[in-house]
Amino acid sequence: MDEHERSEGAPRPLNLAPGTPPVLTLSGICKYFPGVIANEDVSLDVFPGQIHALLGENGAGKSTLMNVVTGLYQPDGGEIIVDGYGVTFAAPDAAIAAGIGMVHQHFKLVSRFTVAENLHLGWSETPRRLSARQIEANARTLSEKFGLAIRPEAVVGTLSAGEQQRVEILRVLSRGARLLILDEPTAVLSPVEVGELFIALRRFRDGGGAVIIISHKLDEIMALTDRVSVLRHGRLVGTHLTASTTPALLVAEMIGRPVTLATSYPRGNEVPVTPSPLVLEEVTARDDGGIIRLEGVTLSLRAGEILGVAGVTGNGQPELAEVLTGLRAPDQGSVALDGVAVKQADPAVFARAGVGHVPEDRLRRALAPSLSVAENAVLREYAQAPIGGRFGFSIVRAREFAQLLADKVGVKLPGAMMPIRGLSGGNQQRLVLEREIRIASRVLVASYPSRGLDIGAIAAMREMLAKARDAGVAVVLMSEDLDEIFALSDRVAVLCAGRLMAVIDRCDADRDRIGALMSGRTQAEAA
Amino acid sequence: MSLKKPFFFGRRAALSGAGSFLLTSGVRAATPRFAPVREEDLLVAFGHTSPVTDGGWTHAHDMGIQALKRTYPKLKTLYVESIPYSADATRIFRQFVAEGAQMVISTSNYGDFIRDVADRAPAVAFMECDGHAVSGNLGWYYITHWYASYAIGVAAARLSKTGRLGYVASFPVPSVYAGANATLLGARSVNPEATMRVISINSWFDPQAATEAGSALVDSGCDFLCGIMDDPGYLRVAQDRGVWAAMWNTDMRQFGPDAYVSSVTLDFAKFYIEQVGARIRGDWKPEARFLTLGAGVDRDAWGQRVPEVVRVEADAVRARMLGGWSPFQGPLYDSEGKLRVAEGHVMNDMELYNWNWQLQGVSGLG
Amino acid sequence: MSSSRTRLTVVPTQRILVGRGLALLAALLIVAVTLAAMGRSPITLFGLVMHSTVGSRFGLEDLALFMTPLMLTGAAVWVGIRVNLWNIGAEGQFYAGATAATAVGLFTGLPPALAIPAMIVAGMAAGMAWIFVPAVARAWLGVSEIVTTLLLNFVASLLVYYLATGPWADRVTGALASTERLHVILPDIWGVVHWGFPLAVFTVVVLGVLLARSRFGYETAIAGANPEAARYAGISVAPRVLAVLLLSGGLAGLAGMVEVAGTVHRLQGGIANNYGYLGIVVALLARGSCLSLIPAALLMAFILDTGIVLQTTQISASAVLAITGLLVLAIAVGDELAAYARVKKTS
Repeated sequence: MDEHERSEGAPRPLNLAPGTPPVLTLSGICKYFPGVIANEDVSLDVFPGQIHALLGENGAGKSTLMNVVTGLYQPDGGEIIVDGYGVTFAAPDAAIAAGIGMVHQHFKLVSRFTVAENLHLGWSETPRRLSARQIEANARTLSEKFGLAIRPEAVVGTLSAGEQQRVEILRVLSRGARLLILDEPTAVLSPVEVGELFIALRRFRDGGGAVIIISHKLDEIMALTDRVSVLRHGRLVGTHLTASTTPALLVAEMIGRPVTLATSYPRGNEVPVTPSPLVLEEVTARDDGGIIRLEGVTLSLRAGEILGVAGVTGNGQPELAEVLTGLRAPDQGSVALDGVAVKQADPAVFARAGVGHVPEDRLRRALAPSLSVAENAVLREYAQAPIGGRFGFSIVRAREFAQLLADKVGVKLPGAMMPIRGLSGGNQQRLVLEREIRIASRVLVASYPSRGLDIGAIAAMREMLAKARDAGVAVVLMSEDLDEIFALSDRVAVLCAGRLMAVIDRCDADRDRIGALMSGRTQAEAA
Repeated sequence: MSLKKPFFFGRRAALSGAGSFLLTSGVRAATPRFAPVREEDLLVAFGHTSPVTDGGWTHAHDMGIQALKRTYPKLKTLYVESIPYSADATRIFRQFVAEGAQMVISTSNYGDFIRDVADRAPAVAFMECDGHAVSGNLGWYYITHWYASYAIGVAAARLSKTGRLGYVASFPVPSVYAGANATLLGARSVNPEATMRVISINSWFDPQAATEAGSALVDSGCDFLCGIMDDPGYLRVAQDRGVWAAMWNTDMRQFGPDAYVSSVTLDFAKFYIEQVGARIRGDWKPEARFLTLGAGVDRDAWGQRVPEVVRVEADAVRARMLGGWSPFQGPLYDSEGKLRVAEGHVMNDMELYNWNWQLQGVSGLG
Repeated sequence: MSSSRTRLTVVPTQRILVGRGLALLAALLIVAVTLAAMGRSPITLFGLVMHSTVGSRFGLEDLALFMTPLMLTGAAVWVGIRVNLWNIGAEGQFYAGATAATAVGLFTGLPPALAIPAMIVAGMAAGMAWIFVPAVARAWLGVSEIVTTLLLNFVASLLVYYLATGPWADRVTGALASTERLHVILPDIWGVVHWGFPLAVFTVVVLGVLLARSRFGYETAIAGANPEAARYAGISVAPRVLAVLLLSGGLAGLAGMVEVAGTVHRLQGGIANNYGYLGIVVALLARGSCLSLIPAALLMAFILDTGIVLQTTQISASAVLAITGLLVLAIAVGDELAAYARVKKTS
């Protein structure tokens, strides 16, 4: 492939001095894992002074490609060219030395060290004799140089996700990175933090740096990036100037067909009038550390309705989900399941009553990652025929059940006995969702179900929630995406600092009002 | 003594009465014939409880084996040292048989572990030191160390000014009872007021504990130390504190030349040569054998500071015992004052081998 | 490209077997070279070892005798590891089981047909009792079972020493270091091999089938793999932790019963012979599969028996220990290397 062909649809930036090579050129990169093509024949250029998005479905090979670029994996074919010269990265430190730095989705910081200590960890320029004052001063200098605000003396474990990410970025930049790679950097950030991150990235770009950003969020890509490359099934589908493409085109390229997310999901039937399956009365709950996370929450779910829960992350959503599913007993107040007061936290009772739960952290909560897909698939129904009974359990039946579940949601299983951690996050989510919908005859609590899903999977997930609603299930949807909440909800509840600010009918809710409630203003103020 | 393990592993595992020997020996009736075997075809296997370099018990046996090999240069031998007192002992003895040994000699008491193997290998001759059972192909042997101890006791009473003897013991087992009792009996033959205090240190080899025990005994007024230890710990104490000491197993005079009196020394050479010779000729018989004074066990040459008159007196007693006289005759009372051996009864070696009560005048063995 | 290897998350059994085979060969080569350097003939020694282990009826009997307790202690540790619980106290539970079985065998006067089942029940119950406190502490208080079970080993060992040399010491025959010979013993079936061997094989097979086919097996697997997910699914974790640890203790207790009633016939100090600790090695060798405990115990028995054989060739006990350690290390390295696969280059 010559340069012209490769740059089709995305020519060299005009402001680049003639003869300046791209920071990074990938030429025909291939990477295979046993039985899997991760990347094949991927070629792209990353130019200085540009933010380059890498877009693709779950499992399209984005992370693998970046691991090749940063020396974590060796490519099985193709060439990596940095500043016009072919290179081989035997290990990540070789890539760092070449000016390529990556910020991973899961931060690689030592949580008990201070910010300054983390910045100086494993760094050739760290002075031999360490003094806390000196490295903190160093850290402050770095912070000013790159325009990333940090508190050098703070212990990393006490920082918010956004602050930790800044430390991680600063750490990479301080090693002289000219190409910064970020893997889904906004997934863990609050909207304000996203804004701050974008400012910092633009500043880095304007200084001549290059950025590769992996993301699912099309609006962010459109707002931030200069060009965008789309991967599908491990191959490069195309590279475009962001300004000359549209989200719809990108989605079509990414999925292979056009997909749009509906802005509403009209119900197919009338809302049945039945007693509320689950009622919270003045519920106060503490987290495991004993801190009050929910205060005086009164909430009545309605069958055949989706209740959207809006709120900035960390305002009591996990505890609300846990109280609703029997994982946590309220400190005060009462929970009534089908009209019967529940005394103790017993998830088994809730599950038997038809309460399904898609928790926020699937791998930690809803799955046993080291066990097989089959064993995970039957987590809710293992004690029922034909899989099991009072004493028995049949792994053969469990395998069949898992296959059934996978077929239903369109997940291709290499084998039902493989550990479930081998599936992509999106596929895990689909299986969990289907598993929970199967038992959720009364209530389904879904916390951030679109997290980590690509747009095609999100569309499918929303359809499933709407179908459950139509079947008469009371659905609770927690999401950080207001569009999602507006598209699906019949009512919107707003959480702020553990208090339920309001429960508003969809027709009365608008973005400004919900935003005001989320920031803690009372309903009277917001209205 | 050479045992570096607690006594439950030990060869001195012999509390029981003499009856068992007679009982079990009667059960096995038909004694198999052990056909003659040429010297170069004979493989003799030895099982030891501690390393041959232990400087004590196993070393004494190894000296006997060296002498055996000098006598029968074409004889094949093999040994395993540090055999635990567990089912692994059975495995090792079985392995001896599997490797073709026609004679297996255990230099310590492995009880059932050797008995089980012997029962399944009737064509192999087994000997167990400190054993208690005789069967169609299993015999045992032990040393009558109490006579040597008695002779040393005579010297002890002459050398001690206070009449208080100290004994550094391992565990309250028959060998220790017999050793302490015999020494005091010898001492009382010249000084009826003599007493003996015993301290058990729960080990056959623990130089630090032996040293502490020796010091404590001297502090309590003892001016003659004896005992049953593998190391010269209390001999050094005696040297430093200016008192006397008698030892066990080997000549240890170099560690306390001024304090050294004598030692109960062991010599298995003659016995091993005789047993292997019998096996070669084809007239080996399983039996219980005591190695007697002067023929396997004796007192060591007297120490440099032991006066001539004491040597002569003790050696005269030794000569009487060699002549067949036994000092172990009634009436003998235990430490509670109870008559244990009636007037006129002479304790035979089997009774002495199983001695498990302390003589009047002995304290500390319980 | 400098390298094209990848680490497999799931390693096929075949790769493991090949890896272990190669590792054992490498270890044996090291041993052979060392022996040759010491002036011994590796070939002669190898022949002797083979003859005394797999090459003769006598050797096979000894292997079976070694395997019997190892299969059971291996199973005891394995059921724990399967759910992320580490019972380091199989040694102590082994002693407890042996002690209880001895008590039944010496003091009840039951006829053999009743005494042997009673000894099995008593042995298992004692093993369970010995792990009960650590199990409860682990299940409800989160106290690490590794430390508590380990410490109880020393208590059990000393208790047996006390009984065997004190109140239960034999006064009938000459052996002071142990109790009287049990009045009821497991009958021999093949040379020195007794009924404990088929009992152990049977136990392992039944255990494997039951855990794979039972609701209990499934629930404990979930609880072990991810306690949070178990709670989410309404499975109470603590009672299952207790149940698994009790099962583990019961199996180790059974091992103690079988050893005392089948092999040693008297209770004595040191009767556990490290079988409890070796059970950890056996369980790790068996990896995820219960039935693999049988070949794993065979391999361990072979290594131990090799140790015995080498000692009779005047190779010192410490050298034998070093060789044993080398073999186990080689297997661990082999397992690790088996996880690395070469990736085919296509371009």
